[in-house]
Order: sequence, then structure tokens, then C-alpha cells
Amino acid sequence: MFSQASHNSRLTPVEPAAGSTELLARISELIEDLSPDRVDLLKAFHRIQHEFGYVPREAVPLLAGKFRTTPAIIFGTIDFYSELRMAPAAETTVDWCSGPACLLKGSLNIRRALEATFECEMNRTSADGRFGLRLVQCDGTCHLAPLVRHHGRYIGPLTVSESIEWARRLTGDDRRAPPEDGARPAADEASPELAEPVEAE
Amino acid sequence: MTLPRYEEMWHRADDAWARAARPARTLIKVGVATCSRVVGAEETLSALRREVEARGLDADFMVTGCLGLCYAEPLVEVVRPNAPGVLYQSVTADKVASLLEAVAAGGIAREYALAVIGDRESGGLPALNSLEFVLGQVRRLMANCGVTDPENIDHYVARGGYEGLVRALQMKPVNVIDEVKKSGLWGRGGAAFSTGLKWEFLYNAKRQPKYLICNADEGDPGSFVNRNLMESDPQLLVEGMVIAGYATDAQQGYIYIRDEYPLPVERMELAVQQARERGLVGENILGSNFSFELEVVRGAGSYVCGDETGLLSSLEDRRGMPKIKPPFPAQAGVFAMPSNINNVESYTNVPLIMRHGADWWAEMGSEKHKGTKMFSLSGQVQRVGIVEVPLGTSTSDVVMRMGGGPPEGRKLKAVQPGGPLSGVVPASDVDIPLEPDPYRERGVLMGSGGLVILDDTNCIVDLCIYFEWFAEDESCGRCTTCFAGTRRMLEILRRISSGRGRLADLELIKLLGSIAQNANCFHGQGAPTAVMSMFRFFEDELLEHVERKRCPAKVCRGLVRYEVVHYSDRLPAAEAICPTNAVVRDNGTYRIDQLKCIKCDACREQAPYAIAVVDEFQPAATTLTR
Ligand SMILES: Cc1cc2nc3c(=O)[nH]c(=O)nc-3n(C[C@H](O)[C@H](O)[C@H](O)COP(=O)(O)O)c2cc1C
Ligand code: SF4
Ligand code: SF4
Ligand code: FES
Ligand code: FES
Repeated sequence: MFSQASHNSRLTPVEPAAGSTELLARISELIEDLSPDRVDLLKAFHRIQHEFGYVPREAVPLLAGKFRTTPAIIFGTIDFYSELRMAPAAETTVDWCSGPACLLKGSLNIRRALEATFECEMNRTSADGRFGLRLVQCDGTCHLAPLVRHHGRYIGPLTVSESIEWARRLTGDDRRAPPEDGARPAADEASPELAEPVEAE
Repeated sequence: MTLPRYEEMWHRADDAWARAARPARTLIKVGVATCSRVVGAEETLSALRREVEARGLDADFMVTGCLGLCYAEPLVEVVRPNAPGVLYQSVTADKVASLLEAVAAGGIAREYALAVIGDRESGGLPALNSLEFVLGQVRRLMANCGVTDPENIDHYVARGGYEGLVRALQMKPVNVIDEVKKSGLWGRGGAAFSTGLKWEFLYNAKRQPKYLICNADEGDPGSFVNRNLMESDPQLLVEGMVIAGYATDAQQGYIYIRDEYPLPVERMELAVQQARERGLVGENILGSNFSFELEVVRGAGSYVCGDETGLLSSLEDRRGMPKIKPPFPAQAGVFAMPSNINNVESYTNVPLIMRHGADWWAEMGSEKHKGTKMFSLSGQVQRVGIVEVPLGTSTSDVVMRMGGGPPEGRKLKAVQPGGPLSGVVPASDVDIPLEPDPYRERGVLMGSGGLVILDDTNCIVDLCIYFEWFAEDESCGRCTTCFAGTRRMLEILRRISSGRGRLADLELIKLLGSIAQNANCFHGQGAPTAVMSMFRFFEDELLEHVERKRCPAKVCRGLVRYEVVHYSDRLPAAEAICPTNAVVRDNGTYRIDQLKCIKCDACREQAPYAIAVVDEFQPAATTLTR
């Protein structure tokens, strides 16, 4: 019941780590002063991710050695936390807020539109590797709901159209919906003479 | 106990605060916290500095935390000597020049003015405390929020900070615990268990070292009250934990803050460091023989790490999986040593109890539930923000008056009181007091204080899908009833929203809901709460989805379809915006290619007259003869 995963003296030392000596040296340096059972593992992850933008695979055996546990435990721990990643993020990563305030204000529509515009599913990278969509949790900036974040910038409240135009600009496509006629802001309600029945299916 | 060494600290603090409270020349205060930063408060601050210098104005600057008026950020307060401060709203950098223009001329920039600080109107502006959003609030925990500089310990000390600690250190630890018990304070993290009792358990545990942990994971989406306290008045939490450490004989404290909160991490770390420099954390606190270390730990993105035992696992260098209880944390917590875990708001009440006494503290609140509670308001309310009210205040007073209710022309539908595991109450119950019992009677938990408001444009099935998705996504994977139960529930709800729901599904959902009670922790046990509230309060709407294949709010994707119902000159705009080219021009008219349409609503935004959302399985409500 009080099993302490990190205190298993029967574990054989882990295999020497693979990877460029430079990388390994840097990682070792980053975790130099940390030790097991001092609430340091999270700190180690953060330092490494801060340095490289992700936790390189090569760090796993080093961490296992440092924290006197197995690579599997380290791997499982990284996998458990959604803010840790083991691959670099796409060059342009858009964070989409999944929270309730955004949801109630139409964030799912925005999600669909972004997925279509970037040709990229949520938590994936587009085929050309340029764009990534990342699902993030609400951080209490709900006055901007529905919002997306891009390189630390918060963009909201967004309409679906705005999100599409914004995403298109990122992709280099500057197609925009024609602006509404200034003289007739509510152009829709006007022009009955233009109205003609449309064939329905 | 006399504290000669600390006399100087108090004097210094008074001097520092006097400069801010009674400035000799114009003082410009800018609230910089997460909410205001994302709308450009830092840019506003630099623009102000630049502009003040360029104009050669005589003014000082001060950064404050936040008043909780998210809807009005960035907020700027201009204080002139011997006059109440004037609060300006939505001051983005582009407005700085015209604001300072008016200020330099000795006046008020009326365009942006929101209120004057205090209780009395002045210069034709309303008093801050008379605004709908503020009237009725009792700001005790938030007394310093948006008022002092969160990065300056002197401000905290000068306004009564650490008096509670001094008083506690003069008492026996058991008496401190008695005082907290007497106040009636219960945990604000969701379970509403007596804080004093919990401390007593830890005090009675005899093994050392003992640990004190602050749960600042605030994982409930839509809750941001702990965040505000940590970034606006971090010393309050430090003091609360030091007092708790003294009362329970613990020597080490951890403040576990979620990864999504970078600014609170930054400010808490600074606060601990400043407190250490003043001898308020560390060895021989305030010259006594009590020593206490405090460390800030940053999480890495996991909801179940907010569960107390999940948090323990996370601290122990492992996956943050909730443990099996017993043993309880007071017997075997972090590193199998006695531990106590409380929410930020629980700890931060303690300095007030110790400073003013339990009787004073318990003056606020209802018959059964004492004290004040902070609530964040988000979703379909006109004023998103944070309020602090006595427990027992009516929900509608907070939601409809302070928050302003849903946007113009819409109707309140339901309120989710605190987190995805808490459930929802319908609009007809919006008058119930904000305290645990009336909610519990309705099968709902009051939770941690993140009020999320729904209006008639929202669909209850859609919301339940969100809650179940969240529960499934965040499940740690230990219990089948939780990780597989929520997944099954999600599948069934999605089936209903796609139009393939059947009556038998309703029984299946109820069954899954009752099985969930066998999950290990409250994450699994609480996962069906919202769905159960849907059965209780919104059965008609659910049946409409299942039996008539209709989503009354027209949200469920499988039950609606976009159609061109009229001709308008906005249709080309709709065609241009559609991300999947599903708006097709056909012989001078338009239609929507249903195979391509992903139902994103962009075309209807562009051409709301021409394009309509219609029920997928019903005859079109609108006929096509214009
Ligand atoms: C899945 C789950 C998530 C939780 N998240 C939080 C949280 O984010 N913050 C919090 O204070 N309590 C949270 N709790 C409640 C804690 O388990 C615990 O009851 C609380 O921290 C105790 O502090 P209190 O007595 O001061 O309320 C959560 C519980 C569960 C089951
Ligand atoms: S109920 Fe869910 S979150 Fe809790 S221990 Fe079980 S699987 Fe994990
Ligand atoms: S709802 Fe979205 S995908 Fe469908 S036609 Fe309209 S813009 Fe295109
Ligand atoms: S729900 Fe998106 S910011 Fe809160
Ligand atoms: S403005 Fe500070 S909490 Fe939103």
C-alpha cells in the first residue's frame, strides 16, 4: 500500500543512454542538482521542456538513473501529463480552449473550422508539418470566450468567420468574406426584390 | 511575546504603504494579472510610462493585482493626492494617449471612467462599491486584490498582514486549531470538510516529518478564484500556511500549482522568497522556535492531480494517479508521512480568523455556513469576473444581478455551480442560497466556486457530452468503472446527439451512472453527476433528442443541417468564408453541399437571413416561398 516506486534497490542500473554527447551532457547538467523523493521530477521535466521545447527521448534513461527508477516509469509519467510532450511542436501551433465557457459560446464550431482550414485534426500536425492544433484547458480567461491562443497571444472572443479569416492569413491565404456593404449593414434583411426562391432538396 | 527585531519591519511596511495609499503626487495603478495581461495590460502599462514621460507629467506607477472585474480589463486607476482614485475600464494601449490628455488637464477621462474607488460617488461618477457587480460583495479575502502591489510584501504587512501569525505564535498549537474549529471554516476545495478537524488529525499524528500541502491545482474548467488570490495577494496564502504549519507541527509545505498558471507560480515563488528574507518563512519564524519551509511546485497538466491523493502521487515523482483510501493523508500522505491538504481559499481564510478572531469571522455567512466564499462567473453572463459574497447569498443575486445574467434577449437556462463533477441546477432554482445544502438536496455539489452559466442557446445534451468527455479524458485509468464507464457514457450521449438515440439508452445511462459509484476516487464517482441532473431537470429536452430526433437549441451536430432558405446579397460572402467550399453556386442560386458541410456556422454568420439551421429530421420550418 505504501509502495515507493522510486526506492527499488533491486533495479539494475539502466543502460547507458543513447544520443549525441552534447545533448546528453546538457540534460545531465539541467538535472544535476535534483534528487529522488524531493518533489524534483516535475522540476526536471519543466527544465528540460523549457530548454528544448519538448522532452527528448534521450532524457528518459538519464532521468531514470537520476531518480532511481525505470525508464518505463519515467515514460509513463511523461505520458500522463498533458502539458509534457516528447516531440517538438509544429512551427505554428494554435491552442484551442476546450473549456465550458468557450463551449457554450460556440467553440466547437471554431474547432471544426480550424481543423478544416489547417487540414489538421486536433492534437495533430498537418501533413506538411507546418500547422498544429493543440487542445488546452481553460485557464480562467473566460472573458475572452471563445478563444484560441497563438504563441502566448490570446485571441477572442472570436466568431467562426473571424477564426477562419485569421487561420487563412496564417496559411498565407488572404481570402476574406467580402465586407458588408457600409450603406446597408444588415444587408440580409434588405433587398426583398432580389429574393428568389431557391430549390430545396 | 515581544518581537523587537521586527519592529523595524512594521515601520518600513507602513512607510511603503503610505506612499501608495496617500500619494504626494499622481499615482497610476495598473492591474496586471492573468486576465488583464491577455487583453494587453502590460502594453497599457508601457504605453502609460512612455506617454507620461513624453508629456513630462508628474506621476508614479504601481502594479496591482486584480479586482475581479474581468469584463472591464485592463483597469487603470488614477489617484490624485487627497482624492479618491478614479477607475478606468478597458484601457488598452491605444486609449492611453486620450486618457492622459484628460488627466493632464486635471480632469477625468469620462469616456473610459468606470467608477471612483470607495462608497461615495464623486465628480459625477458612481462609487465602485455601488456598481451592480460589486454591491453586496463582502471582500475579506480579496481586501488586497487590486489594491496592493502583490510583489511587495510591505504592502501586505502594512495592511494587517502577519498579525494573525504573531497572534498564533503566542498561542498553543491546539488553541490555534480550536480557534479555526470554532470559526466553522470548512474546506473550499469541494468536499466541504471541517478544516480545523483536518488539522487536528495531523496534529495528533505522531510521526515526523509532517507535510502541509496547498492544493492550488484549480483544475475545474471555468474556475479561477484561487488563481486570483495567488496572483493578487500571494502573501495571504503564505501566512495561512505558516499558521497551519505551526498549528499542526509540520515543518515542510508545498504549494502545488497547475501548469496552466504561470503567473501565480511566479508571484508565489517571489512571495515565499520575500517572506523568507523577512524571517516569516524558514528557521525560527519571527524569533520563535518554530521553523517552516515552503516550496512552490508546478504541475504538468492533469485534472486528477487536484484530487488530494492524486496530488500526493504527483509529488512523489509518479503518475498523478489518485490512491486508494484509507490510509488518509493525515496517517500516510506524501512519502507515506502524515500530511494535510487544503485548498488555497481554505488556507487564506486562516490569517483573517487569527487576526480578527473566530467570532468576527463567523459574523458573515448563513446560519449553518460561515464566512465568505469567492465565485468566478463565466459562460453566458454579461459580466464575467470574480465576486466574494457571504455564504448563503442567493444564487440569482450573484448570477443575475452581479453577473448581469445572460446577454440581452436571452433566457437563463441553468447554472453549473462548481466544476465538471458538480452537476447543474435549472433556472427555476436560481434563487437557492449559495451554500452546500440546497445544492445537495438537488443532487448537485456546490464545488469549488466556478459558476458557469447556460442560456437558452445552449443544449443540455451538448454540455453533458462535454462533461463526460472531460471525465474520460482526464481519468487516470485505474478503475474500469471510471475510464471505461465514462467512455461508454460518452459514446451513448454522442449517439443521442447524432440522432441515433433510442429509449433503451436512457436506462443504460442510469445504470452506468450508478455503477460509477464504485470507482475509487471522486473523479469517477462524480462523473455522472451532470448527466443525472439532466435526467432530473431536463428530461423533456433529452426525450426530444431521443424520441423526436430534435435538438431544441439547434446545437447537436447530428440533428441539424444548414440550408439556404432565402436569397440575399450576402450569399457570396457565405460562399467565400466556407472552409470546406460547401456553399455552392448553382445556376445563379446557392445551395449547401451536405456531404461537404462540417456544420461550423460561418456561412450563417455571414448571411443570417439567407442561411438557416434547420432540424435534420423534421420538415423544414421555413418554407422557401419568400
Ligand atoms: C478529480 C478531483 C479534482 C479535484 N480538484 C481539486 C482542485 O483543483 N482544487 C482543490 O482545492 N480541490 C480539488 N479537489 C478536492 C480535493 O480532493 C480535496 O478535497 C481538497 O483539496 C481538500 O481541501 P479543502 O479541505 O481545503 O477543501 C478535487 C477532487 C477530485 C476528486
Ligand atoms: S475513479 Fe477514475 S480518476 Fe479516480 S482512481 Fe479511478 S480511474 Fe482514476
Ligand atoms: S456550416 Fe460551415 S461548412 Fe457548412 S456550409 Fe456553412 S460555412 Fe460551410
Ligand atoms: S472556457 Fe475557454 S477560457 Fe475558460
Ligand atoms: S480580471 Fe482578474 S480574475 Fe479576471
